[in-house]
Amino acid sequence: MSIECVPTICPYCSCGCGINLIVKDGRIIGEEPWKEHPINEGANCPKGKNAYEFLYSEDRLKTPLVRKNGKLEEASWDEALDLVASKFKEATPETFGSLGSGKTSNEESYVLQKFVRVVMGTNTVEYVGRLCHSSAVAALMPAVGSGVMQTSQPEIELADCIFLAGVNIMETFPMIARRVQRAKSRGAKVIYTDPRQTTTARHLADIHLPLKAGTDVALINAMMSIILAEKLEDKEFIASRTAGLDELRDFLSKIDLKEAEKITGIPLEKIKEAATTYAKAERSCILYDQGICQHTVGADNVRVHADLALLTGNMGKPGTGVNSMRGQISGEGSGDMGCLAVFYPGFKRVGEESAKFFEEAWGVKNLPTKPGFLYIDMLYKCPYLYIVGTDPMMAVPDVNNLKKSLEKTEFLVVQDIFLSETAKLAHVVLPAATWAEREGTHTYVDRRVQKIEKAVDPPGEAKPDWWIISQLAAKMGYKDKFNYSSAEEIFEEIRSCVPQYKGISYERLKKNVGGIHWPCPAEDHPGTPTMFLQKFNTPDGLGHFQVVEFKPPDELPDAEYPYVLTTGRSIFHYHSGSMTRRTPRLNDEVLGGFVEVNPEDANKAGVRDKDMVTLTTRRGSIETQARVTDDVPSGLLFVPFHFADSCANVLTNPALDPACKCAETKVCAVKMEVKA
Amino acid sequence: MKGDMYIARSSEEEILEKAECGGAVTAMLKFALEGKKVDAVVAVKARDGNRYDGIPVVITDPAEIAETSGSLHCASPNIARFLKEYLDGAFGMKIAVVAKPCDAKAIIELAKRNQIKLDNLITIGLNCTGTLPSAKAKSLMKDEFEVEPADVIGEDIEDNELIIRLKDGSEKKKSLAELEEKGGGRRENCRRCETNIPVMADIACGKWGTRDKNSTFIEVCSEKGSDFVEMAIEAGYIKVEKPTSDAIETREKKDKAARELALQWQEKDFAALEAMSNDERFSYWSEQFSHCVKCYGCRDACPICYCQDCILEADRGFIPPGEVPPHMLFPMVRITHVMDSCVNCGQCQDACTMDIPISRLIFLLSKKIGAIFKYEPGMDATKLPPLRTVNDEELTNEGVEVAF
Repeated sequence: MSIECVPTICPYCSCGCGINLIVKDGRIIGEEPWKEHPINEGANCPKGKNAYEFLYSEDRLKTPLVRKNGKLEEASWDEALDLVASKFKEATPETFGSLGSGKTSNEESYVLQKFVRVVMGTNTVEYVGRLCHSSAVAALMPAVGSGVMQTSQPEIELADCIFLAGVNIMETFPMIARRVQRAKSRGAKVIYTDPRQTTTARHLADIHLPLKAGTDVALINAMMSIILAEKLEDKEFIASRTAGLDELRDFLSKIDLKEAEKITGIPLEKIKEAATTYAKAERSCILYDQGICQHTVGADNVRVHADLALLTGNMGKPGTGVNSMRGQISGEGSGDMGCLAVFYPGFKRVGEESAKFFEEAWGVKNLPTKPGFLYIDMLYKCPYLYIVGTDPMMAVPDVNNLKKSLEKTEFLVVQDIFLSETAKLAHVVLPAATWAEREGTHTYVDRRVQKIEKAVDPPGEAKPDWWIISQLAAKMGYKDKFNYSSAEEIFEEIRSCVPQYKGISYERLKKNVGGIHWPCPAEDHPGTPTMFLQKFNTPDGLGHFQVVEFKPPDELPDAEYPYVLTTGRSIFHYHSGSMTRRTPRLNDEVLGGFVEVNPEDANKAGVRDKDMVTLTTRRGSIETQARVTDDVPSGLLFVPFHFADSCANVLTNPALDPACKCAETKVCAVKMEVKA
Repeated sequence: MKGDMYIARSSEEEILEKAECGGAVTAMLKFALEGKKVDAVVAVKARDGNRYDGIPVVITDPAEIAETSGSLHCASPNIARFLKEYLDGAFGMKIAVVAKPCDAKAIIELAKRNQIKLDNLITIGLNCTGTLPSAKAKSLMKDEFEVEPADVIGEDIEDNELIIRLKDGSEKKKSLAELEEKGGGRRENCRRCETNIPVMADIACGKWGTRDKNSTFIEVCSEKGSDFVEMAIEAGYIKVEKPTSDAIETREKKDKAARELALQWQEKDFAALEAMSNDERFSYWSEQFSHCVKCYGCRDACPICYCQDCILEADRGFIPPGEVPPHMLFPMVRITHVMDSCVNCGQCQDACTMDIPISRLIFLLSKKIGAIFKYEPGMDATKLPPLRTVNDEELTNEGVEVAF
């Protein structure tokens, strides 16, 4: 009998909490606190406390599957990979695309983009970050030169004012809510923007601004206008560390505050309270997420929040900044590793220069120099698709339309741990090992690189993603460029060509519980918890103000579709539900989808609590159960997006933010009818 | 015999060298395995030599015992839970387990509930005046002692001081009282814990009453413990001598002093809560529990909690599912189910995602109940808890002012 405590990091969100897995005779039988870990100090949120059950779900993919006569049948690795190799050889740089994952390790994400660029000769490689974080990048690159989280998680406790912008943090990031609560106990004030009266509004926020969906630009412009009028801007910071205020000041002086009140639905007094609270605090920290990102004006939303922070000197010191939350363990890492059609690894922009750099680094020639197709485009345009660890059939807006397109692909390969909605349409399905079944590193929200140990074997024939991709590359004639026998070998290669990771090694990671923050340029460098202490990453080192005009959402209610539909999460579930719906302790909390309906609206529509209703948008219909609650204001319906059987993305609007191609999954027009 | 006392040390040179105070515990654990008195030993080890990462280990090879030598003050793994959850409560095997007083008490409570088979256990208790929270301890070393946490090779809590021994052979000390005024120092529950000598174990081992740094003071606390120690002596694993009356007195004095300090901390911890009116208390705790994110960390960590089919689970239909914070009944039911038996181990508060001071509340309640029912949890496996023994008459007593 052997019982071991194996340390690991939670597989769910990007906080990166430590867990001790109890492994008995090769099987995980329980979890215990890892009290030394600096992120969670022995605590874990509901998902973290039920982290491993999904590994043992009966329906884990255990063998490769190949579609024969319309049915997916078991096949050997050789058979499956030979088929994939031969089909991919038919593809051209314009007809092939790959989607990476929010869950693969850095090593695996790196190998995937290398495969796409070296073997397939294209930059059409993307990952889920496009659907959520791209707004941040588009906004923050011009503002400060980088889209990463600016302060570190422990430093959030230092803030005197925390502005939760579009993030129901008690449910979506409980471990960050813990930090916010600690700051509160020290006297910090919490401002929160969200159309809904969520648990964060009720129990964490001091100032809740239930603005109309999609009106953040109007709100923040108004706040900045007030801050300037009250002379609360940080003159010294502005003078020494920023550029471009004059243009912004000029624009803001013309803002009609009464108009802002009307647009946002927030009384002017409240806007003023929020503005002065934020501006007067010594350290103000903005934490934001999809509530502001997933809009056709997502990048604009982040721009104005960056302006707000620059205006008040709330950047470049611990416990401040404009900080995006990230929902995936590889949200940061897969981007760092270059699973982006416009960036090579390390955020080197796709172009001649970067291609040359990596030709040298990888010992290859003719790397692609033109940006590839972005996520949603790729799915519709590329007849050859390689989808790794992600489920666009759950994740992109307007899935009915996507399904029609995917059903017509020439060759769809899906690499996953379960037969996802997308895998069900595939020609070949490859079974992957996940999380604690393989060694690798991940980079969590505050640029924190941590290492996962292999705790148990994967089921059946399932293999680590990096092995599968390397095997495929070998079968396509590139064995010498993908000759990896371990994850560590891959990490060493990453270190050699991604400067931000240069000083990080497996050895250092083993010794540093809580990991190392990049940038880490050398082995004796301690890592960088706080960004921009001296200067910003822009060419002139200054933070740049951006002028943003309010634009309403793409599709607002009308006579036929009288409500606004917004989407979001439950604390007990995770994203497409693939992991949590297979974890009884979590699934039992929320067994299925629902729609939150305001009592007034319910009354008018003849809907009672627990009635089954049909929600219809211009894209499609779903049936779900009504929850009559005043958590939502009149005119707003809320649907969680975790449930395949009442898939929110059947309804959502595929309109994209032109700046980053992030979809407007937070606002569209919907109608509701009681199910006959 | 129960009550016998010894000054003991290991007869093995190797153990003596590595040991902190005589290595008697290490030697006895070796004896337990090599003498086939048990199937396995459960002890705490510094994972990869990291003093801030103490994990429970199950040892069947006597050669591995040496790695568990020495006291780790910056670790607090949940030993009783580990036995209950992963070793089937020792129902299928004989185990020698090393336990702090809170661990030993929790084991007794679990035995009362038929979740641990005491007959299969030899509990080797360790004197304890407290542990430090692992993550914060490292900051303490850096900020207060100005040393690299990894340079610390040993800690001691003595006379209300925290003493650390460093790699280079030097020692540093600071007033624990000062550290704890600042919010550092020991875990909250440890500060107020009056039980420094684990007399509820089979034997209690510590350094109080030893004059030099190389011996262990052993007090035999049960017949089983007596037999075990005698066998260990006879088999040549430990050498013993009788403690002088001075030594015994010194030990009593130290225990008394530590207990008094603990009682002072109890007063401090409970003062604010006791001072509140009923309305204020309701307000305060409603607000605290409104932060709860239903992680079940407290329930999982509590060694007393053992129901396979916990009433608080979502599929039991009792607590409305899917809500955070959960209905107030969630914490209330948890508290009422365990409050008569709280051993002040502090694991619940360590586990709480939202820093709710649960251990403070539940221990306070258990003290009150203990006073009313003349009952102390964790001391005697034959004494059943008030929730079990309360009779109808007591429940329907009129004129009883249940005012806490």
